[in-house]
Amino acid sequence: MRAVLATAAALALLAAPAIARAQGDANAGKAVYAVKCAGCHGPNGDGKGPAAELLLPKPRDFTSGIYKIRTTANKTPSDQDLFRIISDGMPGTSMPAWSVLPEKDRWNLVAYIKTFAGDKLKDPPKKLELPKEVASSEASIKRGKEMYEAIECHKCHGAEGRADGPSRPELKDEWGHPVAPANLTKRWNFRGGHGRTDIATRIANGVLGTPMPAFLDAVEKPEDVWHLTNFIMSLGPDSPHNATLVTVTAVTEAIPDDPAAELWKKIAPNNIPLMGQVIVDPRNFNPAIDLVSVRAVYNDKEIAFHLTWDDPSESSKGDGKTTFTDAISLQFPPQITGGTERPYFLMGDGSDAVYQLRWEQGKGVAEMAANGPTKIAPIKGGEAAGKAVYANGQYRVVMKRPLVAQGTERPTFRPAVFTPVAFQAWDGGAGEAGTKMSLTSWYYLRLEEPQSSRKFVIPPVVTLLTLAAMVLIVRAARSRATHT
Amino acid sequence: MRKTFVVIAVMGLVAGAVALAAGPRSATAQGGGTVEVDVKYNGAPVVEKVKVNKDTEKCGTEAQIEKVVVGANKGLANAVASVAGAKGNPTAKKAVVDQHGCKFVPHVTAMTPGEIEFKNSDDILHNLHTYSTANPAINKAQPKFKKTMTEKFEKPEIVKITCDVHSWMLGWVAVMPHPFFGVTDGNGVAKIENVPAGKQKIEVWHEVLGKQEKDVDVKAGQTTKVSFEMKGK
Repeated sequence: MRAVLATAAALALLAAPAIARAQGDANAGKAVYAVKCAGCHGPNGDGKGPAAELLLPKPRDFTSGIYKIRTTANKTPSDQDLFRIISDGMPGTSMPAWSVLPEKDRWNLVAYIKTFAGDKLKDPPKKLELPKEVASSEASIKRGKEMYEAIECHKCHGAEGRADGPSRPELKDEWGHPVAPANLTKRWNFRGGHGRTDIATRIANGVLGTPMPAFLDAVEKPEDVWHLTNFIMSLGPDSPHNATLVTVTAVTEAIPDDPAAELWKKIAPNNIPLMGQVIVDPRNFNPAIDLVSVRAVYNDKEIAFHLTWDDPSESSKGDGKTTFTDAISLQFPPQITGGTERPYFLMGDGSDAVYQLRWEQGKGVAEMAANGPTKIAPIKGGEAAGKAVYANGQYRVVMKRPLVAQGTERPTFRPAVFTPVAFQAWDGGAGEAGTKMSLTSWYYLRLEEPQSSRKFVIPPVVTLLTLAAMVLIVRAARSRATHT
Repeated sequence: MRKTFVVIAVMGLVAGAVALAAGPRSATAQGGGTVEVDVKYNGAPVVEKVKVNKDTEKCGTEAQIEKVVVGANKGLANAVASVAGAKGNPTAKKAVVDQHGCKFVPHVTAMTPGEIEFKNSDDILHNLHTYSTANPAINKAQPKFKKTMTEKFEKPEIVKITCDVHSWMLGWVAVMPHPFFGVTDGNGVAKIENVPAGKQKIEVWHEVLGKQEKDVDVKAGQTTKVSFEMKGK
């Protein structure tokens, strides 16, 4: 109770200056807008700036007065709603956080962008009242799941929340642009924030201008909004916890091909963020795959990579024009020297090739040599194998090969050596193929040293030696003290 | 609970009485006549077909978007005929649109400003998504257990309604500023009753084929016929 009071007081304190500053100066905002916003949103605020054609989701058309993220029950957002989006940006879109601008400039922008809508925002904002909050609990999450199924959230968001529902391909916003449902397992990408109240507000209020409807009057009981919130928050972690190094765990057992095998559940994932390839044409400004979870193991014979990533549709062939084959590849230098020099990360170049372990839907795993993104050829006598499963908007693929390789095209993996690795992925269903891919720059992976008894021996020995040294020093000091 | 019931009943009675009293009186006062509007279209029907990938037990395996529906005698269905510029009181009749078989039934509804009831007789999730400028835009979920939903269209305009779950679903609600309107049936005929006598302009609107207007001379107590021939766009 005291905590609630304190929070309320803190909120009131926070809100007070916000209200005081809410009266921005539209004229002053105009100058800031011309420099910072017009590139995407257009000089007339219609969302048709020069950069707009490259962006998906498209920049907001301010002339419509339609704002996605509102805490209001009517169409008109509060000034605080607009201020927040300007300040925090919209995760998962091209809208950056403008918290770098002075607060005053941001309030002036709020005042200015409202002028584009004319009298479409003439109704004063009316605060949306959320039902009484329900804390998360096992029972609440269970009820949330029941409601998720009863109100058919899965039609768009998919059975496990990975945005793979059957209505997904049909979804368009009010401007006719394709729009994707949110992947509920990656809430750090939620456009309007991923706090509890943010999520509950989106469920209750919908997302204006998009297919996401308001559910406040469409749940069985008002508090179901919170049960749904608690369920959605149970679907995935709060942040992607990106890895900086891929650890390859030493195992003694045989490594299974099956991505669903028990072994993989025991291995911690290394989450690697991917970006769109925007260096060579055709570029990929709106990459579909933004994260790959890597689990890696090796034994005395083989090394294996277990990759998990979300893809809303399984695309094994595509029409070759707008849809293609889903694929993923891991990339290494052809020989691992342990030095700092590495081939060009974008699949090598004319002078330095890269080695790739590539999986392609319908084709399986292959070893490739590449001298750039358009010069990829299979390596003769490839020894890689693997298996893939696709379910509920997610791929899980195992790729494995012998630890030791012959020739100059394929690396041998050695424990305790920092080994460069990079990743590339294609969502063929989203039109990705060739240079239209998601990728990473070079990362490192490290095969952890085989499990030995050394770690049980060395630390105690070091401790004992240190103790002995300390005793000797103390004794020496004492004897010196008695001599003087 | 009982009190609410009584209040509603009384309100209903009052509304009914007002409607009964107002309707004929305004017609007789002005000397009303009937206008029979006959809308024809010489072109081919426009029906888009969409393969259905979900809810097939309710929606069927192939959905049809009936954009231009032409009857046997070239009669154009789903056109709204109305008296342009007329004034009159709203009718007490509440418009009802059902979401049935993953279609809005009827495809075109006309009403005077006020409440409209949306039914969901499909037992699956629909969402009511309106495209409007004068009235507040609506995008509300209507899950299977929400059998009816009452909304308000208070300003005259033509509202497009869609469902994002089933993207082929399309409907129109014409909110008219007066009660002198009708929607053409399968034979392309609409009857407008109690139209004030004298020179009137009849307007026909169709979602694809646009608008046309014609002058008519309405005579009290008589039926005046007017025919339209809509042109392809």
